[in-house]
Amino acid sequence: MFIRLENVNYTYNLNMPFETVALNNINLEIEKGEFIGLIGHTGCGKTTLIQHLNGLLTPTSGKVYIEGIDICQKGVNLKLIRQKIGLVFQYPENQLFEENIFEEIAFGPRKLGLTEEEIKKRVYEVLEMVDLDVSYTERSPFSLSGGEMRRIAIASILSLKPQMLVLDEPTANLDPQGRSKILSEIKNIHDHYGITILLVSHNMEKIAEMVERLLVMNKGKIILDGSPREIFSRHAEQLIDIGLGLPQVTQCFYELKKRGKSIKEGVLTVEEAEREVLKKIKALANNLQK
Amino acid sequence: MNIFRNISFGQYIPGNSLIHNFDPRVKILGCLLIIINLFLISQFWGFLILGVMVWSGIIISKIHPRFVFRGLRTIIYLILFTMLLHLFMTEGEVIFRIWIFKITKEGLINGLFIASRLFILILTTSLLTLTTSPISLTDGIERLLSYFKFIKLPAHEIAMMMTIALRFIPTLLEETEKIMKAQISRGADFESGNIVNRTKNLIPILVPLFVNAFRRADELAIAMEAKGYRGGEGRTHYRELQIHRKDILFFTIITALAIIVGILF
Ligand SMILES: Nc1ncnc2c1ncn2[C@@H]1O[C@H](COP(=O)(O)OP(=O)(O)OP(=O)(O)O)[C@@H](O)[C@H]1O
Ligand SMILES: [Mg+2]
Repeated sequence: MFIRLENVNYTYNLNMPFETVALNNINLEIEKGEFIGLIGHTGCGKTTLIQHLNGLLTPTSGKVYIEGIDICQKGVNLKLIRQKIGLVFQYPENQLFEENIFEEIAFGPRKLGLTEEEIKKRVYEVLEMVDLDVSYTERSPFSLSGGEMRRIAIASILSLKPQMLVLDEPTANLDPQGRSKILSEIKNIHDHYGITILLVSHNMEKIAEMVERLLVMNKGKIILDGSPREIFSRHAEQLIDIGLGLPQVTQCFYELKKRGKSIKEGVLTVEEAEREVLKKIKALANNLQK
Repeated sequence: MNIFRNISFGQYIPGNSLIHNFDPRVKILGCLLIIINLFLISQFWGFLILGVMVWSGIIISKIHPRFVFRGLRTIIYLILFTMLLHLFMTEGEVIFRIWIFKITKEGLINGLFIASRLFILILTTSLLTLTTSPISLTDGIERLLSYFKFIKLPAHEIAMMMTIALRFIPTLLEETEKIMKAQISRGADFESGNIVNRTKNLIPILVPLFVNAFRRADELAIAMEAKGYRGGEGRTHYRELQIHRKDILFFTIITALAIIVGILF
């Protein structure tokens, strides 16, 4: 077991008049190599949850185990944990500060005490991982577009060689093109380099077709945990109930089904929908011929 | 890692008590009177009376003493330190001697006076900020300053600057915390190392903080412009401050007490 959360609770401003319960009895297990999506309403505790994975927050009660080690104990090497589990914050472009992109990406490796040679190697390696040209190293991080800045920020986490990458809404505020670009890179990082991924997102469409496992949070709880297909077909009602809704195609098929059409549930992508519709039309045509 | 949890000095706690509802101008002036008094008096009874006055204010305001003490916690060491300095450093009639340290009667008195002075000072200003929302506080200051318009004091501008500064303190604190967390995730270490390294470690926090603050200032300026803001000239207020009878009464009592305490002690 790579990561295990046991009965984790977290309350902001504990024992004050404005205390907020952000996490409510979270139990979660994550294996190496998984590609997980995390969705939920704004304010449901997603960001709070992921900050527990690398010890930035310690639970008010409950336990967090990383590779079997309880990271809330005294004397745990949190630096090592934070290197293993790379956390990319929301709007990571707001943390850039170096003179050029080389230094920006080299920040982490430098703190690890690597040699100049190794640092260089890592910088070029991760630039390739996020599909940016080597010529970028000379440029100032503030001269880039929003999407590029974000990729640099992701690269600066990847340069620590994490085993797991946690991304908090990496596509927020990007245009559709920048969005698909970042998402396809994340997919590539998972498929190609075997890095475990936890992706927080509001973009149901994309997440539905990308991830293998989907977590749905509501009001500080993980209410659903399973494959996207399973969740979108079997728990469609519940998702609509809590106001999250479904991906558009899924929604469309769900409505058709509700109107008594015999049609497959839990369709996730447009391609899949196309196939289903064609199948139906063919069947209809066959019936007519007879 | 809630770094800024302890900063509560100057925080407003909403409420509906008598103290909350006094006109901010009256509260500010009353506060000033008490503070001036604190530095005039030189007898124990004066401090006692002022202390009791401020404390009854806190009781009337129905604010839980926990908030008052939380504000004090950050400053208590400063008070203790100054008190100790006075205790040991004042020449005079020796009443107590440990090793090379000697405590004098004058030192003891001075130390206690200084401590009470600072203590009541903090209590008074806490009472003001705890019971007055930042908006009415700056409103009050603007009105008070506008009495000095005849010496070309830019009252509105000063008040607007204060309002904006107050408005952005929590935002900046929140942002600092976020940036720190992000840099820690990138491998930064703010907890260990010598003083040079620690100072160097501030760069990854300060640069993004300043970049964002300037960007935000720019956006705010444009937004204000777009809403037609053009300074204080002819500007009206949504909530006009009004002096009621209770304000006059309150102010009279404070002034009377202040004068009596000031003269007697
Ligand atoms: N620093 C903080 N202090 C106090 N309360 C907080 C703090 N951060 C978050 N909260 C509260 O905790 C709850 C969960 O917040 P969190 O940021 O984890 O939500 P989220 O799911 O990430 O939302 P979003 O989708 O908007 O990013 C919210 O109700 C929020 O108001
Ligand atoms: Mg969030």
